[in-house]
Amino acid sequence: MIRLALPKGRNLSPALAALRAAGLGLAGYEESGRSLRMALPEDGVEMLSLKDWDLPLYVEHGVADCGIVGSDVLDEIDGDLLVPARLAAGRCRFALIGRSRELPPAGSQVRLATKYPLTARRLVEGRPWGAEIVRLSGSVELAPALCLAELALDLVQTGRTLADNGLVEIEAVAEVAPCLVVNRASFQRHRGRINAWLDRMEAAGAVA
Amino acid sequence: MKVSTALPTGVAALFFESARFRRRLEGRLAALVESRGYEEAILPILDYLEPYEALLTPASRGELYRFIDRDGEQLALRADFTPMLARLLAPRLHSLQLPLRLFYRGDVVRYEESRPGSRRELYQMGVELLGMEGPAAGESAVRGESAECGEPAEGGEAEPGEPAEPGEPAQDAEREVLALFLEALAGGGGPRQVVLGLAGCLDSALLTAAGGTSPGDLAAAVARRERSVVRRACGVLLPIVETGLPERPEDLGPAAAARLRWLLAMRDELALRFPAVRLSVDLAEFARFSRHPDLAAEAGARTYYDGLVFRAYAGAAGVPVGGGGRYGSLFRALGADIDAVGFSLNLDGMLEAGEEGEGEFEAAEGAAGEGAAGETQAGAFLPKRLPERSTAGGEEGPEGRSPEAPR
Repeated sequence: MIRLALPKGRNLSPALAALRAAGLGLAGYEESGRSLRMALPEDGVEMLSLKDWDLPLYVEHGVADCGIVGSDVLDEIDGDLLVPARLAAGRCRFALIGRSRELPPAGSQVRLATKYPLTARRLVEGRPWGAEIVRLSGSVELAPALCLAELALDLVQTGRTLADNGLVEIEAVAEVAPCLVVNRASFQRHRGRINAWLDRMEAAGAVA
Repeated sequence: MKVSTALPTGVAALFFESARFRRRLEGRLAALVESRGYEEAILPILDYLEPYEALLTPASRGELYRFIDRDGEQLALRADFTPMLARLLAPRLHSLQLPLRLFYRGDVVRYEESRPGSRRELYQMGVELLGMEGPAAGESAVRGESAECGEPAEGGEAEPGEPAEPGEPAQDAEREVLALFLEALAGGGGPRQVVLGLAGCLDSALLTAAGGTSPGDLAAAVARRERSVVRRACGVLLPIVETGLPERPEDLGPAAAARLRWLLAMRDELALRFPAVRLSVDLAEFARFSRHPDLAAEAGARTYYDGLVFRAYAGAAGVPVGGGGRYGSLFRALGADIDAVGFSLNLDGMLEAGEEGEGEFEAAEGAAGEGAAGETQAGAFLPKRLPERSTAGGEEGPEGRSPEAPR
């Protein structure tokens, strides 16, 4: 039995599609409602339902053998996880967001609001302007809209939330994809099945 | 006055049963290694920083607890036993009778990011076999081919019966230490698996790869098993990412092929001797253990290994409980031209894994094949870590652990 951690939120749908492409039936999973764990004996897996930011910890410690989580989260943690595949669906981008399309002038110092302080720090290191990183836990778009910060770094998929709040995407910084992550020890134990899943996902074009 | 019982992050105090378990395990392991001729070395926990400066990578430097003593000396708390042993013994080896078989036990202190389960103080026990000049007592060199790997490579390789790089005595030392490591693990309560590799054996493939990925980035991609990156950059490495082994040993070059055949033969033999330990060869697991200076610098990991490397997982734990390998280059960097092989075990990790992983092994799952290319058939066992899975949402599982309570 492989214990598989699935994310709540935007990555759940692409994760389920990829697992179906891998050959899992997932019968009854979507009807399981608020269950946090659910055995699917026909697929030989037990599913855990976790928040994105908690999921890597469960996998790294071997509580879950593998899981699917966004690369935005992986880039923020100092974990030792295998990342054998990035899913083709569910991709979005990190973008610098502001009230106008102008980047700060060289030599200036701005406030940059984000849920991703490490990614933001790496971004700012290569820029001619400096930034104080303002860490927020949600509704990051409000920060530039209400002048808590000049800029924000956040995920953008369609850009609709930005438009609704009078903001613009100044620059797309990096692509973000849901990733299959695997615990090192679990890979040794379940290598055959995990490789078979990956082969089927690749054949179906579910990973890129 | 209210007295706090809090301790700094990453350290623990053991009382009663916990303390007894630790001492019992320590006693068992010490008795084992002493019975194999290893003598104890007791080392200080405080040392100068300066002698190790050249050996430190950015990652290992970041782990050190260092400070200025009152007399102005830069000191560091012990983060690793091996470099200290090497520094203290290297200048004296010419006057000592070799080989030396030593063991140590004690705390190492390393800064780790604060997160559940991470420890900053680890209690270790380890052994070092230094300066092996002849075959170890009762051991003979393992040479030959593995059935999985076909014919021997052509050209550039020693004939059968001749010493292959790095020399039979060194191979005997690697084998003796690995066997002792397996014996130490096999005596525990829970399922154990040990992954074997060879430092530097992917260097040639990494350095000649195409596709615009730097060798260091590619090594990291192999270690993370990122299939698409590896497929684009170097097709030869793809089977290693998937199964742990190349399609043919020769794909890695003649010297690495010879070493890989030797490793596979040794794995097959030791798997028969230690059936309780699942033994596999997986070169991707150690892709960042490079011998090439540029690659090693990029990898940023502990890089003193230069031959056999191995790592043990125990119970349901997803983190290693021990590891080791050959590291003659460490002694050579300190002025002593000898080979050295050793291992260390994390006793608290072993205890945690033993408590959780008590019991059984079960046969490998299904034909889809947990028995992939890198695994020995003789040792193809799986830990029976979760005897029953609950279907009820949020309810505590049979192992007494809810999904909201990571170890």
